[in-house]
Amino acid sequence: MEVSIDRLTKHYGRKIAVDCVSTVLKPGMYGLLGENGAGKTTLMRMLCAILEPTSGEVLLDGREVSSMGADYRDLLGYLPQDFGYYPNDTAEEFLLYMAALKGIPRNRAKKRVKELLETVGLQDVAAKKIKSFSGGMKQRVGIAQALLNHPKILVLDEPTAGLDPKERVRFRNLISDYAKDRIVILSTYIVSDIEAIADEVLLMRKGKLVSQGTVPELTKRAEGKVWELAVSPAEAARWQKKEAVANLRHEGDQVILRILSDDRPAEEAVCCETTLEDLYLQSFRE
Amino acid sequence: MELFRLEHKKLWRKKSTRICVMLCFLYCVVIGSFLVYQWFSFGSRKDNMGGRSFDGYENIRNCQAYFSKYGELTDETLQEWVRDYQSAHEAEDEQTMENSGWQIVNSMLKGLYPELEEEDMLGIMLMSCYVEPDKLTEVYERREKAVETFLDISGQTGAEREYLLQMDDKVREPFSWKWVEGWSAVLGDQVSGLGTVMALFLAIVLSSLFAGEWHDNTSALILTTKNGWRKLALAKILTGISFALELFVLLAAGMIVSQLVFLGTEGWDMPIQTIKMIAIAPMNMLQGEIYEYAFTMLGAVGFAGVVMLLSACCKNHVLALLLSLAVAYGPMTVKDFAPYWLEKAFDLLPLVGSGADIFRTNTFHLLGRYIWSPYLLIWVPVLLGVLCLPPAVRGWARRMRG
Repeated sequence: MEVSIDRLTKHYGRKIAVDCVSTVLKPGMYGLLGENGAGKTTLMRMLCAILEPTSGEVLLDGREVSSMGADYRDLLGYLPQDFGYYPNDTAEEFLLYMAALKGIPRNRAKKRVKELLETVGLQDVAAKKIKSFSGGMKQRVGIAQALLNHPKILVLDEPTAGLDPKERVRFRNLISDYAKDRIVILSTYIVSDIEAIADEVLLMRKGKLVSQGTVPELTKRAEGKVWELAVSPAEAARWQKKEAVANLRHEGDQVILRILSDDRPAEEAVCCETTLEDLYLQSFRE
Repeated sequence: MELFRLEHKKLWRKKSTRICVMLCFLYCVVIGSFLVYQWFSFGSRKDNMGGRSFDGYENIRNCQAYFSKYGELTDETLQEWVRDYQSAHEAEDEQTMENSGWQIVNSMLKGLYPELEEEDMLGIMLMSCYVEPDKLTEVYERREKAVETFLDISGQTGAEREYLLQMDDKVREPFSWKWVEGWSAVLGDQVSGLGTVMALFLAIVLSSLFAGEWHDNTSALILTTKNGWRKLALAKILTGISFALELFVLLAAGMIVSQLVFLGTEGWDMPIQTIKMIAIAPMNMLQGEIYEYAFTMLGAVGFAGVVMLLSACCKNHVLALLLSLAVAYGPMTVKDFAPYWLEKAFDLLPLVGSGADIFRTNTFHLLGRYIWSPYLLIWVPVLLGVLCLPPAVRGWARRMRG
């Protein structure tokens, strides 16, 4: 199975939301990184055939997805960024309703819903109305509905938003298992989530796909460009104005700055190991 | 089917749906039917100020028993009724006068024997109290004349007049004549007014059926599912129609049970002319009631179609609600001030017209033919509603895809 995105473009009037994005997605986990307004959600919506592209196409094994209709949607699981639900439904009722929308027969749906409620840790509140749930619990309902039909292509737009650290770990483990023989694309602003589970990272900026590769491949590109420098608190402010500071922490009387710079910023600066966050910050440094 | 079942369940799960159904039942069945029979309209009079006792059940039986002796409407029975009434009036026997069903018979006398009405008695004494019984003759000839006079006054001449008189010829005489006031309340107020109330609650419940998806922000989820918007739209339409039918059945069942308990079945075979002498429809009370219920049911389905179209075309369910209410109550409010042709056109809108048109001589002139208005009023609203459904699905699909 292979999803090809071919010169996909979306214009909203004069604004270009997605600009000629091309890539090929094979089974595995893809992390979509980009600042707000980079075009991640628009790209995902076009990938789900909700939004018609201005130009370009999305192909599944050579067939254009918009022409596949229900056959394509049957393979799809989608968690939108602004996940909508029916507030008067219980978690179980909502999932059964979504299962019917996905064309899952009633008996199978009941089993699957029970299974998923356990998977996302909502089995004890299955009979409670969603409107009484916390943000994280609602998000878990959203994740469960995306998984109902065992989708071959799973698109998750900021799935970890609102989840506490324990829930995030549970989610990462669940999705990692899931991505073995399926295409999973997730966008998030929490870089560590992608770093932990993504096989490949797609970096978007102003509607364009600026980088794509595995985490080691991408971080390698930033190697030798991340430095740590210990300075006094008074000097720290001066350095922040002068250089791109990715992090700042206090150690005793000193402040340790993590500086992104092509050249060694000072004699005492020490070159350190690069993370995906460093690359992200470097990519979006103005 | 599963999607329809769940969509239907979802609609009924809403608190607003349950409250609406409960209020509608309370208004139409408990207040508008049960309390009307037992207290408001048929309880015995306590005083001259119009106060009534909570004894409608016994009072109705007394009225039915009093009237049972007449059997059929003939010159003799009409004269006998007037004599009985006048004896009771002289003896100041309030109970007998109340049981006599004088309201309808008095208006019958005024309509059939206008020359016997004394102007100086207007507002002082009922015609039944002073008219000479022996002068009340040729009741059916008088009725025929009254119908013709009414058609002349209404400007219904030529082919239209012939058409209506032919219909009137089918009215079978002599009329079975029993206590009529119960049936008058059923056909004149209760069933014919049911649609007006249903329109409000159908609009509240169904206006959010499609538009509510925007409020709940679920379009992205729906669009990415296998069944997608198309099957969901179908499920929603079936849900809307079945809700309209369920609400109707609930109210109609409540009202019919109440009617059977209080009125029984007596008088079902009386012609509707015993309520209004110049009616021309050859219908008995049961047929009239069936027509009025069918009119309301089909009107409710038609109105559900209109509300669903508005719901599918508006992203805001409050706007959809306001438009739905405007579609029903706007024409209802202005039709009395509108030109005659516009008033008749408004009557064709779902739940705007009235099932009580069976008592009238309204016609539509279509393709060179005259059609008695109830024939069109029963079918056109439901057809309009059905015609609204394809654009509702298309409109929703267009909006879903943004």
